[in-house]
Amino acid sequence: MKTIASAVLGMLVAGPALAADPGVTDTTIKIGDVNIMTGPAAFVGRGFSVGSKVAAEEVNAAGGVNGRKIVVITEDDGYVPARSFQALTKLLEVDQIFALNGTSGTANVLAMMPLITEHKLPTVVSQAPAPVVYTPVRPTVFTFGATYENAFYAQLKYIHEKMAKPDAVYGLVRQDDDFGKDIEAGFDRAVKDFNLKAPVRIRFKKGTTNFSAEVAQMKQAGVTVLANGGIFAGAANILSEARKLDMPLIPAEVWSEGIPASAALLAPAGYDYLVGDYVSLNGPANEKFRELAKKYVSEDELKNISRYTYASYIGMKALIEAMRQCGKDLTRACTVEKLRGLKGLDTGGLSAPVDFTNDKQLSGTAVGVYQYDIKSATFKPLTGFVQY
Amino acid sequence: MDFLVLLIATGLVAGATYGLIAIGFALIYKATGVVNFAQGELVMLTAYIGYSLAGAFGLTFIPLLLVAVPISMAVGLVLERIFIRPMLGEPPFAIVMVTVGLAVILRGLIIVVWGSQPANFDAGIPTTVIRLGNVPFYPAQLIMIAALGLVVLAMWAFMRFSRYGIAMRAVAANETAALLTGVSVSRIHALAWVLSSGIAAIAGMLFAANFKLAPDLWFQGLKSFPAVILGGMDSIVGAAVGGIAIGLIESLSQGYIGEGMREIAGFIVIILVLMVRPYGLFGSRDIERV
Repeated sequence: MKTIASAVLGMLVAGPALAADPGVTDTTIKIGDVNIMTGPAAFVGRGFSVGSKVAAEEVNAAGGVNGRKIVVITEDDGYVPARSFQALTKLLEVDQIFALNGTSGTANVLAMMPLITEHKLPTVVSQAPAPVVYTPVRPTVFTFGATYENAFYAQLKYIHEKMAKPDAVYGLVRQDDDFGKDIEAGFDRAVKDFNLKAPVRIRFKKGTTNFSAEVAQMKQAGVTVLANGGIFAGAANILSEARKLDMPLIPAEVWSEGIPASAALLAPAGYDYLVGDYVSLNGPANEKFRELAKKYVSEDELKNISRYTYASYIGMKALIEAMRQCGKDLTRACTVEKLRGLKGLDTGGLSAPVDFTNDKQLSGTAVGVYQYDIKSATFKPLTGFVQY
Repeated sequence: MDFLVLLIATGLVAGATYGLIAIGFALIYKATGVVNFAQGELVMLTAYIGYSLAGAFGLTFIPLLLVAVPISMAVGLVLERIFIRPMLGEPPFAIVMVTVGLAVILRGLIIVVWGSQPANFDAGIPTTVIRLGNVPFYPAQLIMIAALGLVVLAMWAFMRFSRYGIAMRAVAANETAALLTGVSVSRIHALAWVLSSGIAAIAGMLFAANFKLAPDLWFQGLKSFPAVILGGMDSIVGAAVGGIAIGLIESLSQGYIGEGMREIAGFIVIILVLMVRPYGLFGSRDIERV
């Protein structure tokens, strides 16, 4: 009888904290991460998971969140929205996560949204900060990041004011989907605000690799500033064709071209292209982060560090801070409330400070413009983080 | 005028890619009566093999071809032995489904072995722009066009003059009759896979040298399929001509008509051609199987 009583007492002590939501015990807090760990876009997920891990290990090394260690559980969705839903179901039902940091792509987070809403799951979206994620606002979802519209507007503004000749001709090539529309919105805004000459806008199907006809159209129109909506190999192939046609271009690129793997693809074309991003691509903050990461992740994982890592790290830091403010009585409702009140959270220069105190529960909208320097293979900051 | 010439030039490059890949489809169909839905994946796999060889040994293009093509042929033989040979005598639809399964396996395998990040493929080809008149080309693009011509010529000579080529034509014409005259049908099937894999290697490496190496390269197989339909499923020359035609139509329609037309213009032409010649421009009339 004494043994049974001891066992029951032991279970009570080691089990879930009283009145706490799923995913919280007296010693741990489980945070979920649904991400692209397999498939052609796996490097996005691998980079992202490093950021979550570093933030978790950093706080764990300092004693955890009010004494509780962060445990990150990553599920692969292969960038397939249906699999994102399955992955989050597993995280909720089997692993019983407390909150979510890591939501894959735009379509993927939308696929998971019913589950997030149903479970009132505190969620930070820092990977695909599209307007559809925060329009309408979901009470437990907090978005960190700028729109592609602002990222392109920022670049075109900088190019117009500092780099382009007065008679520059602006062109746009973009995917024929929502992602492309967002880029075109930034392009249109810049054309209107600065009265730019922009005779050509070209759409292409996702997955296109040969852009020779499109670039020939650009050449025909005399384009000298290109808003390049291609990504990864697509972006590189567009610039490669431009080089072949001897076009004197200033290219503005999607922030996915701000990762080292993309830069290596674009470099052979020989253009010192621009990128607009809501996280820092190079500088003391990035160096400091890398030193921190060395303490907690392997050599192989260090190779995966990219802009997605910084976005993930910032998202996790925001969650951690909100949970810390809740004290010992950690609940999802409290975490959401504290996230809603989060203001001025310093990210060590990796981005503008986090501030969710607005109707959209949206932060990180300030964009910095960077230029890739082929010779040194580094990104040079051209502006600080600015709201556009 | 310059714009038209530029579009024709870019259409030729795209068409040569389609043509080379389509020849692989046609070869296997001609010998086995089966559409190999893993042809795009075969192109991708052999390109990755070439990438590893180029990286490991720093080979220039010709030595790379001399090493990568035979290895790719051996890979083709192994795949045929493991996946296709056991299906001999089964309905064509079942074999087609095996090729669909093989395609999925190869896609996964490539990401496991080589990872998912796109890469620059240094195939040992210079990247200095060459001008033919006013038209600029990368050397790899000119090689792509030349490769299509050489492969068509080589395959024509093979089919016309070699013992195995004649046997392959015999199997294509009447498999049972060929079997009765002593032709080893299974060996001819294997040979088709071997040759198709070799051509896939040339197409894959040149495509990657032109347009980067990425695990979505298999999609070029699907994009090339209309070329083989247009040219005729069992015609090697037809596949090449179909590829060039599709490339030119895509490029010109994108250049002159505009957005969205690139994707549908080729299919409109295919539908029109098939309404007049259901077996394609150069295909045999008696195509029946899937």
